[in-house]
Amino acid sequence: MSTPILELENVDKSFGPIHVLHNISLKVMPGEVLCLLGDNGAGKSTLIKTLAGVHKPTSGVVRFEGKPVVFDNPKQAQEIGIATVHQFGGTFPLMSIGRSFFVGVEPTKGWGPFKVIDRKKANAVAIKAIQDFGITRIDDGDRLIGGLSGGERQSLAIARAVHLGARVLILDEPTAALGVKQASHVLRIVLEAKKRGISVIFITHQVTHAMAVGDQYAVLIHGSVAANFYRGERTREEITDLMAGGEALAKLEAEVEN
Amino acid sequence: MLKRILAKSMATTAMIAVSASIGFAADIAVVGGKNDDAFWNIIKKGIDDARLVVEANGGSVNYLRLQTYDNFAPDVVQLIQTAISQGVDGLVIPNWVPEAEDPAIKLAIEAGITVILMNAGGADKATELGAINYVGSDEYAAGVAGGEYFAKNGQTKILCVNTVPGAANLEARCKGVIDGITTAGGKGEQLPLPATSFGDPTAVAEAIKATLLKDGTIDGLITISAGDADSAAIGVMQASKIESVKLGSFDLNGAGLERIKGGTQLFAIDQQPYLQSLLAVTLLASAIDFGTDLPTRPVLTGPGIVDASNIDAVLAGVSAGAR
Amino acid sequence: MSGQFSFGSLLRRPEAGAFIGLVAVLAFFVVFGGLSFLKTAGVASWLNVAANLGIVAIPIGLLMISGELDISIGAMVPAGSMTVAILSGYFGLPIAVGILAALGFGVLVGLLNGFIVVRTAVPSLIVTLGSLFAVQGLVLGLSVMLTNTTSIPLTSPAWAKAMFGTFIANQFQVIILWWLALTAVYVFVIHFKPVGNWIFAMGGDKVSARNAGIPTERLTIILFVLSATSASFVGVCQAILFNSAQVSSGMSFIFNAIISVVVGGVLLTGGFGSIIGIFFGTITFAIVNQGIYFTDFDRNWSSLIIGVMLLLAVLMNNTFRKMALSYSPKKK
Repeated sequence: MSTPILELENVDKSFGPIHVLHNISLKVMPGEVLCLLGDNGAGKSTLIKTLAGVHKPTSGVVRFEGKPVVFDNPKQAQEIGIATVHQFGGTFPLMSIGRSFFVGVEPTKGWGPFKVIDRKKANAVAIKAIQDFGITRIDDGDRLIGGLSGGERQSLAIARAVHLGARVLILDEPTAALGVKQASHVLRIVLEAKKRGISVIFITHQVTHAMAVGDQYAVLIHGSVAANFYRGERTREEITDLMAGGEALAKLEAEVEN
Repeated sequence: MLKRILAKSMATTAMIAVSASIGFAADIAVVGGKNDDAFWNIIKKGIDDARLVVEANGGSVNYLRLQTYDNFAPDVVQLIQTAISQGVDGLVIPNWVPEAEDPAIKLAIEAGITVILMNAGGADKATELGAINYVGSDEYAAGVAGGEYFAKNGQTKILCVNTVPGAANLEARCKGVIDGITTAGGKGEQLPLPATSFGDPTAVAEAIKATLLKDGTIDGLITISAGDADSAAIGVMQASKIESVKLGSFDLNGAGLERIKGGTQLFAIDQQPYLQSLLAVTLLASAIDFGTDLPTRPVLTGPGIVDASNIDAVLAGVSAGAR
Repeated sequence: MSGQFSFGSLLRRPEAGAFIGLVAVLAFFVVFGGLSFLKTAGVASWLNVAANLGIVAIPIGLLMISGELDISIGAMVPAGSMTVAILSGYFGLPIAVGILAALGFGVLVGLLNGFIVVRTAVPSLIVTLGSLFAVQGLVLGLSVMLTNTTSIPLTSPAWAKAMFGTFIANQFQVIILWWLALTAVYVFVIHFKPVGNWIFAMGGDKVSARNAGIPTERLTIILFVLSATSASFVGVCQAILFNSAQVSSGMSFIFNAIISVVVGGVLLTGGFGSIIGIFFGTITFAIVNQGIYFTDFDRNWSSLIIGVMLLLAVLMNNTFRKMALSYSPKKK
């Protein structure tokens, strides 16, 4: 079996006296979609911030391609290929698609002090990148991001992260505020990323979305991994109960026994 | 023996005389503006010079200055109360905020303190409060003097540039200029500039230039402040009317004095703050010590016209801190 | 497709509204003020005002694009003119020393503003409100302490006059050339260099911009240095041109610069705008401010006219921005 691209071993995180994450151990293989489930306050956002280099684990090890890594800041995580895409993150509503796509890594032409942004190239690359993900409606790189739909913006943000070399994509509730059709755009992009061998950590509340794209599922309850299983190992109902914090499940079991 | 007694009694008399002068010569308090306010430093020069006279007669002068203008009315009232509690004989006070100050000034007068209003207030206010006089300037009278000066110099159409339209004292300046020139047979009008131009010399200069170009009959120009005259001088130059349009200003500044000396500005109207404190303090001391009564009411310290005829003396006054 | 000229895409540019506003106010004043408004003296009257304002308005616009604001410029303009007047006018030091000191003071205040804004979470409006008063007080206090006056004459040598404070053809202030040159540099840097892209990204979403590796803090500080130094520079030019400096000048620059920037199409909340737009907005403001002197309107109404015209210009801008945002290609 090959090495997991990202692996957490007994990771703890506490802020002073408050223990947020306990003994988290997870593995993500290349091209695998891990759905991270859990109620609000379960520790999902602390976990992804720890992966993205915002927080350092209090104890435990994070391994990237088998090698232990410690990030001092989010940039270091990005550099080795762990990209976090927040809702609409990395897109700027009043900038053009081409300019927004390349913020911070603008392609340039010319020489010395007269080196300027290569707008044509930026637009062309951005449009190609997004169209390769199946969003063919976008064809003009000079359009403003604000004119795109929510799903298109989210898709653009993901395409951007992938284009900039992401090998592990952390998607923080990418479908939360989207309608059914918009969300399906985003899910298609997740599958497309997976097809290219990119691993995805997908945070969501919607079981349907998790069921549609997930290979592996981890449910966080009170900062611990309450369940970690693969596709087909649990039914939709079981997952729903787990996501509700496990309490509903416990109650159900109690009722069955009586 | 006799000689000794005589000497002793003379000494006693001298001692009595000294203590009498401490007891009866005027101790005067003057209330004024902040340390970093240039106007009130010229006022201070007048006080310092008046002090020489007062102290020669055995009295004293204390200049009570506001520390800030942030808590203005209560601070002024506090200074009046300080003067009362110090047991002064005389008080020179600007009537800046009548609502707040008037009761305190009345209290001072009831406590037996002789009061002169200075700089702000007016003769009517002095009478109302029971102060013996008002020493200061009158914006309207200063404006009239400016208008008349233009007329005497041969100008017939005067533009009064007001960069802060709506401010009562500045409106009075322009109204005075217009009335002064009108009475003398000429014409005058005000050019009110919008707030968006205040403090932008280019905008002021361009407004003046455009107005001069539009109305070729204007041959005199006066600004409500010395700084605006700097802008006006450039506006006149741009309109190519240095020969045909004469410039005047209210108040003095260095650049304006240089223009008067160099011939590119006709005159400036000064309210002569040095005279305000010099006269107020000496008048008050003389009234308290010797019972003098000056029938002139109010005592106007301005307008003083600065032009080519007296510019050298004025410049000497500037370097002495009196102008 | 994208390389072709299209009227529609021109209209969606940030400066479209500003340009149409400019043409509209120009037409208005030609109708009510006659053609003298377009002759040399007339053009100079608004171009001079625009140049002085424009040099300050562009860095203010950049700060606004990046999501910040600097109102300390209201104190920096007189600080610049007083510094050169005190050092070179009152104390008689070489004018170059006065000019450099004035610009240096601008850099210093800008650094201070920038550092406080990035180090604390205090909004830049409040920080620069503080430095506005602090600089005002410092200039007033020092001026009275050192010279015992608040208005200082300045006589400049010919070379300084020629560079900073003279008239071309007896009408056009030499600062117009500075303004045009600076505008060209800004257009190039902001719209063609990557760093310009970063400023827009900062204003759009500061956290995402930082995550994208943009040195947001350093850029913010640079922009504050730029605005304070530019204001100081305008003050220096004023003092040299008018041969005099006053403590009390400059406050109108705050509002006038912000108005020009907004009329120029910059979004108050940041992330959107253009240098050319600000350039047009500044000219529009100057025309509205000075145009009334060419008309027969009662001068007492000037503030009202200025207010109404600027409001209309801003509303027009909003319409164009909405057009740009809602634009999507035709259905195929």
